[in-house]
This record gives sequence, structure tokens and C-alpha cells, in this order.
Amino acid sequence: MIEPLKVLIIEDEALLAMELESLVEDAGHSVVGWATSSAEAMAMADATEADIAFVDIHLSDGPSGIDVAKYIGERKSSTVVFMTANPKRIPDHFAGAIGVIAKPYTMNGLTSALRYLQEGVRRPPPVSARPAGFTLSPAFETAWAPAA
Amino acid sequence: MEWKRTREPADAWHMTDDLHVEHGKGDPFAAAIRATRMSMIITDPRQPDNPVVFANDAFLRLTGYERHEVLGKNCRFLQGPKTDKAAVEQIRAAIEEETDVSVDILNYRKDGSTFWNALYISPVSNDKGDLQFFFASQLDVSDRKHSESRINADKDRFEKAVKERTAELEAALDAQTTLLHEVDHRVKNNLQMISSLIIMQRRTIRDEGTRRSLTTMLERIEALSTVHRRLYQSKDVSKFDVADFAKDLVTDLLTASGRAEISPALDLQPIIISAEKATPIALMVNELVTNALKHAFKSKPDGMSAGRLGIKMSQPDGHLNIEVSDDGIGMADANGDASFGMRLIKSLARQLRAEIEWRDTGPGTKVVISIPNEPQEKGNVS
Repeated sequence: MIEPLKVLIIEDEALLAMELESLVEDAGHSVVGWATSSAEAMAMADATEADIAFVDIHLSDGPSGIDVAKYIGERKSSTVVFMTANPKRIPDHFAGAIGVIAKPYTMNGLTSALRYLQEGVRRPPPVSARPAGFTLSPAFETAWAPAA
Repeated sequence: MEWKRTREPADAWHMTDDLHVEHGKGDPFAAAIRATRMSMIITDPRQPDNPVVFANDAFLRLTGYERHEVLGKNCRFLQGPKTDKAAVEQIRAAIEEETDVSVDILNYRKDGSTFWNALYISPVSNDKGDLQFFFASQLDVSDRKHSESRINADKDRFEKAVKERTAELEAALDAQTTLLHEVDHRVKNNLQMISSLIIMQRRTIRDEGTRRSLTTMLERIEALSTVHRRLYQSKDVSKFDVADFAKDLVTDLLTASGRAEISPALDLQPIIISAEKATPIALMVNELVTNALKHAFKSKPDGMSAGRLGIKMSQPDGHLNIEVSDDGIGMADANGDASFGMRLIKSLARQLRAEIEWRDTGPGTKVVISIPNEPQEKGNVS
């Protein structure tokens, strides 16, 4: 049994955050916090210990998700996975994030992504197939899915 | 040059002046200079300030001056406020270096009116190589200059108009792109919210039948979501690859279903369709694949064991063919027209003018959908 993940949710839509929390918990992981703005997200990143932070790019104070990712990346408190309807806004270097789950994701797609991330974080590289709708950053592509 | 043969060049113009009196008699060369329509003057650089020592009638006609007004003066009296300083400097440099020069310069007549002067100046030396005179000819090229400047003005005006129009179009395109991104973002978020609402609702429901209904609904909504995600992640939002969609769909349904015993056999040629067909085709493929998973593999007589789900996509002669096959127990409870899924498939097939065929392949079922490919699609491929 691989140890479950502690997840931080940074998402300004309450409905989506609520549902994401349920899906994360259904998959056996735990949610350690939910933030809706960049300031809240940064404070929460400092105050909690999470393995993974799901970060939406568009937050209640604007398109500040990338700043949040940079902040978390610099502190190495957890590893960011973007979760956005606007994957084209992510910079090429991904601000240190593992990758992006493009919205709209499917329930199964998210469950698969959680399993993939669990394997990748706990026992890299992941052995499961990369789920549809999940894109790795170039840095993690090299580490987790080197070209055969 | 004839000038160089003259022994006493300093007197040459006096001689030609004399010739003026005896019009046509004497030196025919000097007479020609006097009478030609081409404006000409001679200046003497050996005198202070290089004054005009000879001017023909054509020069006087061109400039409007009397002969006594020009003789003994430096040519700069032809210049005025709008005369180009650089052209004047070019002439000055040529005089200093004793070389010839050809320049278009704006000159002023006695009455203050202007003309464009195609000026040509060349030094004249004696046999020993000593500079004697400067010979200058003037040609009025105002007409040519005016049409040149008119053409330039036209060109500038057109370039300005094109620039303005381009800026307008770019601004309009930017606004449209922003709007498209905004709408796209909202559609995606809303699709995500619809899915979330269904999942949350389902959690509260105990009845197995109702839960199944909500799951089927969720799968259909998610098929639409996948279409939208794929469409707007691709470079061209007007084109959709059904094969890529099918790959996503099968991966999604199988990896999370926990049904490791089902192995998908995908034989997918890229099938590019126009965006407006993406939704009905994707919904149809979703129905067939989820049907195959739900019904075909349910309670096999031997308990379970490896099942096979096959999807084949090809494009023979102007058609898009999609085959979904399984080797499960068949579609005993799935081929009834009462089933909403079946009705959905049939309606979508009608919308796409597609032929649909169910084959009992015992064991298993194969569904073949053949969609006519529009001529416009063929055109776009080339």
C-alpha cells in the first residue's frame, strides 16, 4: 500500500473545490486546506504540510495561480499541479510544477491522475499510464517519462 | 572640348558677346550656345566669388532676370528659403574639388516663383590643366518633380491608410481572441460544474438504479467535456480528431473502471472532422463504448475472464467508418429500441446521415457506423 497524499486545493469556485475535495477523499487521500485567493494560498502553503497543491490559474484576485506556484516552488513545501481551463497560460517552464490537469476533467480522469501522482510522488517514476487530459511539465517529462 | 582649344579663354566670352551683335556670323559654336533652348551659363572661378560671366537667352527666359542683373554675380541668387541645403552643399563641394556635378535643386525666379532645376556643372580647363571656367546647364524639371512628389504623396497616403486599417484589424482580432478565450474558459468551467453537481447529487442517492442513471448522464456530459477540452487544446479549433478522442475515452473509462481484464484493441487512423460534427460523433462513440463495457461484459457465463474491446476507425472512399466490437455476452438487453441510449445513437446517426449496423459476431457484437465525409472535408485535407 502506498502512503496516501496530503492535498492542498487552491480554487476560487466553491463548487469545484467541494467536489474536488470529495474525489480526493474518495480516492483515500486527505485535503489539508482550501484557498480561494493568492494571498490565502501562500499563507496556507506556509502553514500546512501538503504533498501536492492543486492550483487553478484563475483565482478570486485574478490570474495569480502562477505566482502561487512560484511561491510554493521556491519554498519546496509541496509540489504544484496546475488545474485550469486555460492551460495555454502556463509558462513554458511550468514554474516548477509537475504538470497540468486540463479542465474540464472527467471524474475517472481525476481519479487516474491522483493514482499517477501518488506513485510519482511516493515512488517515482509512476508505473500507471498517464491519464488523458494530464500533461507533464518538460522537467517532469524527463524525470518521470523519459523517451524510450 | 572646344573650350579647351581656346588660347585666351579669358576673352572667349567677350568674343561670344561680340558674336551676339553679329548674330549668326563668326564662331558658329558660340552662336549655337547663344541660341539653344537649353539654359546655359559660364562662371569664372578665377574672379572673386566665382561670378557669372556669360548667360544665354534661355537662362534669362528661365529665370526671368535681365542679362545685366546676372552678369558679375554668383549663382546663389537663384537659391531661396526652400532650397535644399544638402543640394547646395553638394554643388559647393564639387566647385571646390573642381569636379562635375549633377543635382536637382529648387531655384527661385526673379518674381519669387520656384522651379526644379536639373543642374549640371562641369569645370573647363586649358591645355595645361589650369581651371578656366565652370560651364553650367539648367533644365526645368518641375513637371517631373511634381509628378514624383504626387506619386510619393499618394504612396504615403496609401501606406498610411493600409497601416491604419491593419491596426484596426489587429485590434479587432485581439478583442475577438480575448472574447473567445473568455467564452472558452466559461464553457469549460461550466461543464466542470455540471459534472460536479451530478457527482455530488449521486453521492446522496442510495437507490442503485437512480445512481446508474446519474452515472450514465455523467458519462455523457464528460464526453462533451472531453470534446471541448480536445478542441480547444488543439491548434485549429475548427478541426477535431475522432481517433484522439476515442483514445482518451477508452483510457478514461478503462483505467478508472478497475476492469483490468478488459484489454482494448485500438486500430485508429486519424479521422479529422469539422468541429460541428465533433459533438454528435463523440456522443455516439461514447454510447457504444460505455454500452460495450456495461452490457457486453456483464455476467459472462464463466464468471469473467479476459474480454476484448475493439475500436477501429478508418476512412475508405469518402466515408468515415467507426467500428466498436466486443466479445462479451452480446447485446440481448441492449438492442431494444426502448433504451434511451439506443435512441440517442439512432438520432445522432440520422443527424450525421450515417449508416449504422449491428452485427452479432457470436460471441460478441460489432457495431459499424459509416458516416459520409463531406466534400468540404476532402477539400480541406489537401
